[in-house]
Amino acid sequence: MHLVLQDLANGILAGGILAVVALGFSLVWGIMNIINLAHGAFVMLGAYLTYQLFASFHVDPFLSLPISFVVLFTAGYLLQRYLINWVVRAPILTTFLLTFGLSLLFVNIALIVWTGDQRGVTTAYAGANFTLAGVTIPWVKLYTLLAALVITGVMHLWLTRSKTGRAIRATSMDIGAAQLSGVRVAHIYSIVYGLGAGLAGVAGTLISMSYAINPNMGEPFLIKAFVVCVLGGLGSVQGALVGGLVYGIVEAFATQIDLYIGTQHISGSGLQDAIALAVLLIVLIVRPTGIMGKATA
Amino acid sequence: MKLRPTAALGILALCATLAAPSVPVSAAGDTILFGSPVSLTGSLTKEGHLTQEGYELWKNYVNAHGGIKVGGKTYKVDIKYYDDESKNDTSAQLAERLIDQDHVNFLLGPYGSGTSFTVAQIAERKKIPMVEGNGAAEKIFNQGFRYTFGVLSPAKRYLEGILQMTKAQKPPAQTVAITAASDAFSQEVAQGAAAWAAANGMKVVYNNKYPDTATDVSSIISALKQTNPDVILNAGHLQDALLVQKGLKEQNVIARAYGYSVGPDTPDFASSLGKDANDVFGGAQWSDAVKYKGAPGFYHTAPEYAKAIDNAYHHRADYHNAESTAACLAFQYAIQKAGSLDPEKVRDALAKLDVTTFYGIIKFDSRGINLYKPMVVNQIQNGRLTTVWPAFTADGKPKYPAPPWGQR
Repeated sequence: MHLVLQDLANGILAGGILAVVALGFSLVWGIMNIINLAHGAFVMLGAYLTYQLFASFHVDPFLSLPISFVVLFTAGYLLQRYLINWVVRAPILTTFLLTFGLSLLFVNIALIVWTGDQRGVTTAYAGANFTLAGVTIPWVKLYTLLAALVITGVMHLWLTRSKTGRAIRATSMDIGAAQLSGVRVAHIYSIVYGLGAGLAGVAGTLISMSYAINPNMGEPFLIKAFVVCVLGGLGSVQGALVGGLVYGIVEAFATQIDLYIGTQHISGSGLQDAIALAVLLIVLIVRPTGIMGKATA
Repeated sequence: MKLRPTAALGILALCATLAAPSVPVSAAGDTILFGSPVSLTGSLTKEGHLTQEGYELWKNYVNAHGGIKVGGKTYKVDIKYYDDESKNDTSAQLAERLIDQDHVNFLLGPYGSGTSFTVAQIAERKKIPMVEGNGAAEKIFNQGFRYTFGVLSPAKRYLEGILQMTKAQKPPAQTVAITAASDAFSQEVAQGAAAWAAANGMKVVYNNKYPDTATDVSSIISALKQTNPDVILNAGHLQDALLVQKGLKEQNVIARAYGYSVGPDTPDFASSLGKDANDVFGGAQWSDAVKYKGAPGFYHTAPEYAKAIDNAYHHRADYHNAESTAACLAFQYAIQKAGSLDPEKVRDALAKLDVTTFYGIIKFDSRGINLYKPMVVNQIQNGRLTTVWPAFTADGKPKYPAPPWGQR
């Protein structure tokens, strides 16, 4: 029983991070129809930024959250405004290639700047934990989850209540009508891409505390973001959160499948990617729009 | 804009001309050209760079000391690299390109068992000898390949030394838990450790794997914790070693010894984890404490080699450096012995090679793997890597059992 609760906790804690990774990816995809292959690279840049601030100026990783957001938001905004907007109406393959190219560029720049060495952000409180009802919970991961919940909550409020948020949603529903109502689409697109990059940067900061930092670290997170946002429902804040938590919990429980059939070792943790994708498949069959997604015309 | 077919062809031809390699620097001149596809980017970037450093150090030494004598003529050496992005298929394609387009004389291995396995197939098909120092999976050597030689001890030995050592301590370790990445190398390491434990009266209480791309291993650690093992072993690579070590502390898993196949020997492990890296054991192909006296033609001892690495690259010599250099040395001695650059003759000389170097004995069994050099066990003690096993080569005593987290 302890192990079941522990796995549930592990899954929720891991899922919170995945939700933040997926959130920015989902917004960019859902609102602009850009599958942003540079998303993993933004996560990596956020992690390096955190590392550098920590190593050079002893800035606590949680304090560098807003810095990561602002820096990556600005970079994302400028990229969209002066580069991606040129091809945003082109077929999806064009933006696919462009963002893939950007990803390669960023990864290689990181390789030059920080080399291929593995880096880590190990704070004084790293690994500190408490036990509740037999379940061990690391403080860092708990705070990370709380940060993830706050970030998704703020995003949701901002998108539904603020003027810019409403303009963003209007643009995603009907560009023509939005333009007629005075929405500056190029600006809105840049904000959305900036948000995607900013959220990736924040995710990178959160990840830097538990995962090794290297120029290629974004790749597995990009793939997971892809699954999470399809699982949860494209372009929706709640979708990313629910998708991330479901993915995290499925992965955690998959680990319990650990048996031998003859000499054949069936290891759920070895197959966790396959199991997570199988769950995705089932969800898509039952609810093609994802768990929280709404059918669109 | 639409291109007329002729214009398009013209542009293509121009591109082809530009992309074609310049006149190959082959042995037709006075240089022996080696080629290596190596992980300069991708998940094994760090290890790939250490490999390249090992190769470059050898190249610079040999060229600074006149070159290699082959049947009365002296040759300089050069190495052509391509980045295989840590991908198995890419590595094989690049090996083919090195042979067909760059006309290299010989191949030096890529980093890792996966890439070494695919490149070995190319070496076999093209009948170009490859010596590799970074693919320890025996899968590579059980295919009957004639042109691939590995200077390292096989994967199954990586964690044996740690088990031997913990069993010899007081109180002796009796139970072991193993976690392993799903790649061929890590799986062989894990199987080797489990087999050794079972054969020597230790009980394997947990043995499970996770995908190479895992971003979270906390549930594996939770399951492992329940079995309360004396020794916790991880068979993987640097990135997952860091993930596991952080996870063990986060869940307050207490064992007498923690051992890794890859990780503690690379400085990044201690620099990333700080004090939490202390008292961890690592299986290593080599350390700067080993006491071999090498044959003439290169640095004779491990400390001399370590000093040269420090001077050139400003970090402590790592076993990935040493095993990569050893692969070059195998070629150096075999080529001298063969007195020829003929691939077939050099292959035969490699098969018969028996030489002691700063790295240890280089000698291959009939499959091409080096079964003759023992592994060593290192431990991070107060932030510094200390060789603790086997006793005859150790420069310190193992710290066992490990103190609880927070007291390191």
